[in-house]
Amino acid sequence: MALPPDRIDYLPIIDRPVIKWPNDARVALWISPNVEHYEYQPINEGVRDPWPRTPYPDVQQYTYRDYGNRVGFWRMLEPLDKHGIRCCVSLNLAVLEHFPEIAEAMVERDYDFMSHGIYNTRYLYTCTEDEEREFYRDCIDTLQRHTGKQLKGMLGPAISGSVSTPDLMAESGLIYHTDWFHDDQPTPIKVNSGKLVSVPYSIELNDSSVLRDNHYTAEYFADICKAQFDQLYSEGAESGRVMCIALHPFLIGQPHRIKYLDDALGYIMSHDGVWQTTADEIAEYYIANYYDQAVAHAAQLGR
Amino acid sequence: MPAQRTFGMDHPHHEWSPIISRPALRWPNGAAVALCVVLVLEHMEWQAPDGSFQVANLSGGSAPRAFPDYARLSHREYGHRVGIFRLLDLLDKHGIPATIAMDAMTAENYPYLVQHCISRGCEIIGHGISVSRTISANMSEDEERGYIRSSIDSLIGATGSAPQGWFGPEYGESDRTPQLLAEAGIRYVCDWANDEQPYPMTTGDTPFFALPLLYELDDVASMAQRKVTVADYQRRLTESFDTLLEDGASNGRVMALNWHPWMVGQPFRVGAADAALGHMMRTGGVWAATGSEIVEHFQSQTA
Repeated sequence: MALPPDRIDYLPIIDRPVIKWPNDARVALWISPNVEHYEYQPINEGVRDPWPRTPYPDVQQYTYRDYGNRVGFWRMLEPLDKHGIRCCVSLNLAVLEHFPEIAEAMVERDYDFMSHGIYNTRYLYTCTEDEEREFYRDCIDTLQRHTGKQLKGMLGPAISGSVSTPDLMAESGLIYHTDWFHDDQPTPIKVNSGKLVSVPYSIELNDSSVLRDNHYTAEYFADICKAQFDQLYSEGAESGRVMCIALHPFLIGQPHRIKYLDDALGYIMSHDGVWQTTADEIAEYYIANYYDQAVAHAAQLGR
Repeated sequence: MPAQRTFGMDHPHHEWSPIISRPALRWPNGAAVALCVVLVLEHMEWQAPDGSFQVANLSGGSAPRAFPDYARLSHREYGHRVGIFRLLDLLDKHGIPATIAMDAMTAENYPYLVQHCISRGCEIIGHGISVSRTISANMSEDEERGYIRSSIDSLIGATGSAPQGWFGPEYGESDRTPQLLAEAGIRYVCDWANDEQPYPMTTGDTPFFALPLLYELDDVASMAQRKVTVADYQRRLTESFDTLLEDGASNGRVMALNWHPWMVGQPFRVGAADAALGHMMRTGGVWAATGSEIVEHFQSQTA
């Protein structure tokens, strides 16, 4: 009997097809800055209050985040550029419309993009299926219009979703979903049509969890990024692993924190056997080379 | 019932017994500390049934989100797919047997994992139905009896043998739980975190024991809830051990750890667990054993 939501077949890490990344890399590393805009006066649809501290606007919290776009983003680019990182941005697509200099800086660097919704204050919880279909069309069209790129994946807006999200994503032509934290490798997600995979994003190596929610220091953030890398690098000698570092410019781009991003990236990028890539490329590579094997292997194990 | 301001405990489950007034407990081969590592394999449900009780602060996914909470569900599922194997390898490396607290939904839906645990010689103990349905005083006596029975029956069905021990999901109990566990044939329970030695519980004619866990060293309580750093967690483990080793020289102690594979089994945390266990096993004076072995030995000493 499959447990609801019956989206992911059980595949133990010790018994599944061996993954070989390009050039025998041990770790596929992707860096995902969340480039976001939170609305000044959002609508509270009753499931999650975007600004729970005060009646809207909450200027303290609004500007704390908007600092990321005015200042933090630009500071964050320095260590990313220094270490030659090509990011896969988790993007609130309206940023492309509001802040063209940010769009230009990302396009100029040939970043990839996954949708992170239109605004970080508009969630998917209350969408009807048709509204959610329209949402994907909007995300795809907006990205195409401003960057010329085809949208391939999504981290739900503020990590929200609906019961039908994976089906509707696949139906819209997306190939990966990063709201799943169950693995160190990509895995197939069962959908009604098409192929969808999870690419491991991180809820742990995430400056929002570590620095904002949990009040750790940036030095600690760098430490755990290095420790995560060491473990996955060691295991990746047998079968390739994915490592993601998730960033938010308003957090990691603070003046007291930025040097620790430089420190973590410097450590990781000094190793051979790192495929510094994007979730787009990981998903495409996995689907081309391992998706069918993984599905077949899971079916065999489940028997 | 409120306490009555009289001698001893304000409940009937065990006697008052300060550790300074007990006869000396001796572990096999003169060990000062009996080390027990309990690994929890528990399932968080997509939607818990009406009337079930799930603690409000159930960890995972950085913070609880509205339904459907893909983040928290999948973060916890990491333990079943990846983390458990890392921890079992770690325990093997240090020569420590595993005690696995397994809920019914895991036992019934992860046959591969069940067989794997059996093949590695783990002791499997009862852990309720799911972490979304803990025992609580909201249950009637009949409901609770049925819950315990079905948890045990699921383990018997999956493993072929009846569990000797029990650790309720989220330490959940009503004021009847020890009696009902004893009645169901369970010999020891890990929910009671109030000691450093096993102790008898007053459940009736059959001997029944508490095997206390050190709550402050619970990986989720420490690192997810109290935001202890990984390095501090490692230090708390080794310093606790050093103190117990010293105190255990005159009167043996138990160091029983509650570890969740989705938490301490994460790549950036497992190194701390490795270092701490290495410290304990290198130091000597430690008897690494399963819950049953520890309770068995305690019973033979105190009979």
